[in-house]
Amino acid sequence: MSSRIGVDIGGTFTDLVYYDDETGEVVVGKVQTTPSSPERGCIAAVEEVVPAAVLGRASYFLHGTTVGLNALLERRGAKIALLCTDGFRDVLEIGSGSRDTYDLFWKPPPPLVPRDLRLTVRQRMAWDGSVVAPLVEDDVRAACATLRSAAVDGVAVVYLHAYANPEHELRTEALLRECGFTGAISLSHRISGEYRDFERASTTTIDAFVRHRMSGYIRHIDAALRGLGFPGTCLMTRSGSGSMTFHEALDRPFETINSGPVAGAEGAAEFARRFGLERLITADVGGTSFDTCLVMGGRPQLLHRGTVAGLPVQTSWVDVRSIGAGGGSLARVDAGGLLVVGPQSAGAEPGPACYSRGGTQATVTDAAFHLGMLGDGALASGLYLDARRAADALAPLARSLDYTLDQAARGIVVIVGSSMANTIRELTIEQGVDPREFTLLAFGGAGPMMGTQLARELGLRDVLVPPHAGNFSAWGLLGADLLRSRARTRVMPLDEASLGIANGMVSELLASMDDGGSGIGATLEDRTEIALDMRFDGQEHTLTVEPEHRDDCIVSSVAELGERFRDAYRRSFGLALSDRIQLVSVRVARRRALPRRTEKLSYPAARAIAPTLEAFSFARDRRCTFAARHRGALQTGVRHTGPAIVYEATTTTYVDADFSYGVDAYGNLLLRREE
Amino acid sequence: MTTNARRSQLSVYRPHDRRSATGSAAEADPVTTQVVRHSLSSAANQMKRVLVRAAYSPIIYEAQDFAVALYDRQARMLAQAPTLPAFMGTMSFCVEAAVAGVGGEAKLEPGDVILYNMPYGTGSHAQDAALVMPVYMPDGELVGYATNKAHWLDVGAKNSYCTDTTDVFQEGVVFPGVKLYRRGELAEDILAIVLANSRMPRPVRGDLLAQVASCRVGAEELVRVVQRYGSRTFWNCVERMYEHGEAVVRAYVEQIPDGRYEATGHLDNDGIGDEPVHFKVAIEVAGSTVRVDFSDVPDARPGPLNCPLPSTVSCCRIALAMLAGNSEAPNEGHFRPLEVVTRPGSMFHPVAPQPCYMYGWPLMSAMEAMYEALSRVLPGQVPSGSAGDLCGVQYWGFDRERNEPFYGGCSFAVGQGASARGDGATLFVAPLGQSKVPAPELMETKWPLVRFERWEFAPDSGGPGRHRGGLGWDVHWKFLENVELVSVMERTREPSWGQAGGLSGAPNRFVLSHPDGGDVEIRKVTGLRVSAGSVVKIRCGGGGGYGSPAERDPDAVRTDLRLGYVTEAAARRHHPQAFD
Repeated sequence: MSSRIGVDIGGTFTDLVYYDDETGEVVVGKVQTTPSSPERGCIAAVEEVVPAAVLGRASYFLHGTTVGLNALLERRGAKIALLCTDGFRDVLEIGSGSRDTYDLFWKPPPPLVPRDLRLTVRQRMAWDGSVVAPLVEDDVRAACATLRSAAVDGVAVVYLHAYANPEHELRTEALLRECGFTGAISLSHRISGEYRDFERASTTTIDAFVRHRMSGYIRHIDAALRGLGFPGTCLMTRSGSGSMTFHEALDRPFETINSGPVAGAEGAAEFARRFGLERLITADVGGTSFDTCLVMGGRPQLLHRGTVAGLPVQTSWVDVRSIGAGGGSLARVDAGGLLVVGPQSAGAEPGPACYSRGGTQATVTDAAFHLGMLGDGALASGLYLDARRAADALAPLARSLDYTLDQAARGIVVIVGSSMANTIRELTIEQGVDPREFTLLAFGGAGPMMGTQLARELGLRDVLVPPHAGNFSAWGLLGADLLRSRARTRVMPLDEASLGIANGMVSELLASMDDGGSGIGATLEDRTEIALDMRFDGQEHTLTVEPEHRDDCIVSSVAELGERFRDAYRRSFGLALSDRIQLVSVRVARRRALPRRTEKLSYPAARAIAPTLEAFSFARDRRCTFAARHRGALQTGVRHTGPAIVYEATTTTYVDADFSYGVDAYGNLLLRREE
Repeated sequence: MTTNARRSQLSVYRPHDRRSATGSAAEADPVTTQVVRHSLSSAANQMKRVLVRAAYSPIIYEAQDFAVALYDRQARMLAQAPTLPAFMGTMSFCVEAAVAGVGGEAKLEPGDVILYNMPYGTGSHAQDAALVMPVYMPDGELVGYATNKAHWLDVGAKNSYCTDTTDVFQEGVVFPGVKLYRRGELAEDILAIVLANSRMPRPVRGDLLAQVASCRVGAEELVRVVQRYGSRTFWNCVERMYEHGEAVVRAYVEQIPDGRYEATGHLDNDGIGDEPVHFKVAIEVAGSTVRVDFSDVPDARPGPLNCPLPSTVSCCRIALAMLAGNSEAPNEGHFRPLEVVTRPGSMFHPVAPQPCYMYGWPLMSAMEAMYEALSRVLPGQVPSGSAGDLCGVQYWGFDRERNEPFYGGCSFAVGQGASARGDGATLFVAPLGQSKVPAPELMETKWPLVRFERWEFAPDSGGPGRHRGGLGWDVHWKFLENVELVSVMERTREPSWGQAGGLSGAPNRFVLSHPDGGDVEIRKVTGLRVSAGSVVKIRCGGGGGYGSPAERDPDAVRTDLRLGYVTEAAARRHHPQAFD
């Protein structure tokens, strides 16, 4: 009853993982992404990898996609209009006025709605929700005529302070329908209950912009799966962790906008919960980017604001930090004579030089392969890396730096590794935690190659390479809880009266979420989560604090909440203040876990390999003999001393000389730094 | 004074002498150098994040009116985070002056934090308070300084913000280098003096403690990085890193033909009188060295529009780094090709007790003039002028609910210049970097006595050209209660400059509409009493155009017309080619 399929569509590859509860088997597959029609690529992957019998008894299909993201990046979305408060037509385009500090020519991305489709309506709410000026209904009617003549697909309605009083937005929706507008309508207060007009307007227009594309995509996949005999529930990962039903994703498409990159973080969170790991850092290295996220207490760290394609998104957001550093990152020597790696990437085409697809510039993969970090260079796809081409690409760099090939290659890997380590360090310092107390979870095609180096840079001891490390993001989909969340801003002093108001807001927010069935069987337990954004009176930035609650009601006292907030503040900033505290926003979520699964691991019979090879050790700063092993051949519970290269179908793990390695009882490859 | 007499009194600022190198660049491994450089930048970024998140006042977390940086023992810049550019080039002066203020390096001890806000040493007004924390290795060796400078809401100037000071003593309480922390212990008496002299002690205390937290993170990280690579390797890499930054900038400067390029900077007035102020800036390029000459500027003004030397140098540093710095975070090396000539006692090198509260405005105008001068030899390779101001208005009154004074206000983005690359945008001026306009919803919630009425582009405000200058815009709000107001509006007389035939955009403008219907145009004013019901109407100006308007692509003209960026009348006048 708990068989499920996960499909994660990336820029280059579509990864698929399925779990069959009859056999406990977990099977992974990888097919080329079809950028022109990812929905067809997704279905093709299912047809190719999942046997019909398994599909016919699967309960869940879980999906992570970059379709919405790509629609934004490429600006291929719906034709949309914006209805906004009279006088505030250009909030969306003026934005924050913030610029890149070092680039004199920097410009912000153009707004999603051009100015001629930003239509103004006379009405005004105050910050406390009181009506300053009534809605002029004729303005809405006039706007409706424009929407129809411009043949827009959808419209975003963003009135000032609508989160405090949605009456005018709701009336506008009714009027648009009365006037015969049939396109999609996105009301800002439904998208976000938080203040900051530019960010809410940005989020609401993103919703309107991707809605059309997402709904076509979702409907296509749903219909095609049904056609193939899939009887279960379709779920999509949310930017803010967890998953939502396709039904819900059709209603709130903006929540899926970062659905791709969070799958790895979700997987890491499930992994942490399963193995009781209190503090985990992810190191997900792909072809073009390095993604990292902190998982504490079994949950990825959440933000309440994200950025996508240069636009702010006001929604719950897994705090995955990304930098342009991956296997395909290009190396060059800059004007000042230093070696620079990334953020430019060789991408899927031509890819690294050693892929023999026409690339000539050295990449991280070329450097790593030259150093022996990828072993014999036989990839799962059947491709053999070309050592000659890697060396040819490295040669010009080595010449201009007056280096040997090894030194140049080592330099590339060291520099890219230090950028990754710095990203992790900034993330931990910001949370007031010490990276040395964490375990590193390395995955993605190139993550296990970088694990030991990152651990050494960060001073941490253990690196875990999970099962299916190369497809871990897709595996992560399998454990995504069903999750819904909402938030609303109301700035109040922290006192008894406010707590009463906050409890009222909790009830309203929960009620607004619980409308409409989830389409999920009633056998699963729901759990409510409540959180409060708080700050010292006078500050702007808030910290999120979780109160005790019972029966959907906050039961913590004012004094307890104050203490929790001050503790959180001290942890983050090392300061103890006794100032007055404000409540700023109320956040609620309903979480529903999918049924547990019991997985068996298998590493399919592998090709013949040489027992040892020469590779470069960063710990010894020279080449030396590495053991070469198949992951499937490692005996459970036995520890070996490095250095070694460990092969598996979807990735290659590089174990430096200062690390030991072995497979634990759960099938995880654990690398441990030995002092 | 004759020109010759003036010449004899010139001061030339040159970068630090290279012979005092603490390591050997030649011995540094280029890869480790790059790793050390990124680690130092990362440390500075951590200092920034801690300050932004812990700060109390929006002027820090929204306006980003602060800088953070790490320096070596000789006050050479190891790294800085992208923060307020106008501050970023001043921090070396802050470190040197703060250390001198407490009696020199010998008087420093681990755990000390120095508070320093003397305007002639920080380059700013007294409200911009620098903290300098010496950084020691566990063996007691002094390796450098973690420092930041942030704008405090109030430190006892004659008003909470001033446009009309006549000497530095009216501009706030001065801390000429005092230990706020001694060996890790807070000097409660110093803090008490700070707070007793502030109209808004609560936020000032919060911001000050956030600055301390930021310095501590920077100090810990600097120690960690030195330990990670070992002292000898670290300093070799640092020298190599400086050489790298220097080489990047010199490579750019060498492409500029040698010569002397001049332009004139403009200010509406000096805050006391209402006469326009003009000053000449010259850029001399010789080989790979740039000398910026401020010798031909007026004597220090009676009013506060004087820019202390550190900010004059800062302005040149950031203008050069933004243009030639490869879009990377600069370090000491990037500043080495630069020399700055000033005349003590002039408006770009005031001396005690000459007023300098509004030092930032001559700085902004000087940066516009420097790029204008360079546009004569690099047409289109620098953007045209912006409207050249932040159109700031502040106001204060008494918050009855909280039973304490409140202080509100904000600054705004303006139209930026067009360049050979395309039309200009609407952004903060370059010296303000990542400043943010607070959202009207946020401001109304925080200060319920303001109600915004307008937030829209002003058609025809962008300078016409082959590429159009960025649009200006109108922001209007009503005061629902009586307040006192300060306007720091600038460049209402002189619009943005265009290049290669491009025209100017609309200048900035501030009109106060009284409830009885009368309109008053305002430039700078301090402590103006404004009655409830009055409406502030600010026009943020537009950027200058690039190239002749007759060369603008007719399709681009028609798009501008459709979007309402230009009116038909103006389009027909400037771009007849679109109407054939």
